[in-house]
Amino acid sequence: MATDKYDYDEDRAQPEYVDPKIDKHTIVALANDHIVTDLKMLISDHLKSEGYRVLDVGTYDHTRTHYPIYGKRAADAVNDGRADCAIVLCGTGIGIGTAADKNDGIRAAIVGNIAQAVYAKEQLNANVLAFAGIVLGRDFVFDIVDYYLNAKYKPDDNNKDLIDRINKIATPNPDQTDNPNFFDSENKKWAQGIYHD
Amino acid sequence: MQVVLGSDKDGFELKEFVKNNLTKQGYDVIDLTPTPAKDFIESSLAVTHKVLESGIKKAIMFDAYGVGSTMASDKVKGMVTANVEEERTGHMTALHNGAKAIAIGSGIVGPQLALSIINRYLKTDYAAGRHQVRLNMLEEMI
Repeated sequence: MATDKYDYDEDRAQPEYVDPKIDKHTIVALANDHIVTDLKMLISDHLKSEGYRVLDVGTYDHTRTHYPIYGKRAADAVNDGRADCAIVLCGTGIGIGTAADKNDGIRAAIVGNIAQAVYAKEQLNANVLAFAGIVLGRDFVFDIVDYYLNAKYKPDDNNKDLIDRINKIATPNPDQTDNPNFFDSENKKWAQGIYHD
Repeated sequence: MQVVLGSDKDGFELKEFVKNNLTKQGYDVIDLTPTPAKDFIESSLAVTHKVLESGIKKAIMFDAYGVGSTMASDKVKGMVTANVEEERTGHMTALHNGAKAIAIGSGIVGPQLALSIINRYLKTDYAAGRHQVRLNMLEEMI
């Protein structure tokens, strides 16, 4: 019987879509909320055309859902090594970017342009990139993604210290990592209609 | 209305400009960095702790790119900081995320755009309703 729990063994990248001649052997996790699924699909096709493997952790359609679920899935994928990095988007990028950042080992960069994306990778070694899916347009987003993925971390004493201190701000919560039931109580309240406009 | 400000060296000049403008507009500005903090971690965490302890609903963090202040402060349980470069996100993150702070990169955003973003952010109230389930989920996270 199928369950509504996601199973990491099933969450695999789709190498069948990557031409072996251009395969970068880099897995990019993609996560989004229901507002920006269409742009997520365009990014997925764009990445595959460039030789990246994509691990799409949802959401997959336009049915109303909640961005923290997908920001956490992207973070878990990176932390588990199922993806090399993650690209996450919601309406403004703020909600899902914040959710991704609230995971031990994640440094999520919320950006609105190439300059910030490159800085985030070169100086803070950001392993999650977040941006707005309805404020920004397709071509600009493709550029932001490409520049982020092509940028390399440039370690120096100053940024190593910053990264080390950022990594230590949050207290790790073992119950959160890889726990597909982590949001159950809130999802249940939502289903019961407790939250409404 | 109270607004908390904090800045590192890179954001300091823009912070001073914004502070003067908001004071003239009648805001009660609480500047946590009359002199620049050592770096964006120090300034953004100072703002974060002030906001979380006092319950003040609006704050602005300044550094070079906005990225670092956001990354560091969102690591604090209960904090929601938005890195913002244009007015639409300044408005929407107040409305839908109830952003407790926005970060502005002084190397990215010029003074007039910064004021325009900040005014949109400060003049927008959180909508709650269906958005509260997402904020409660964020609250449960580290």
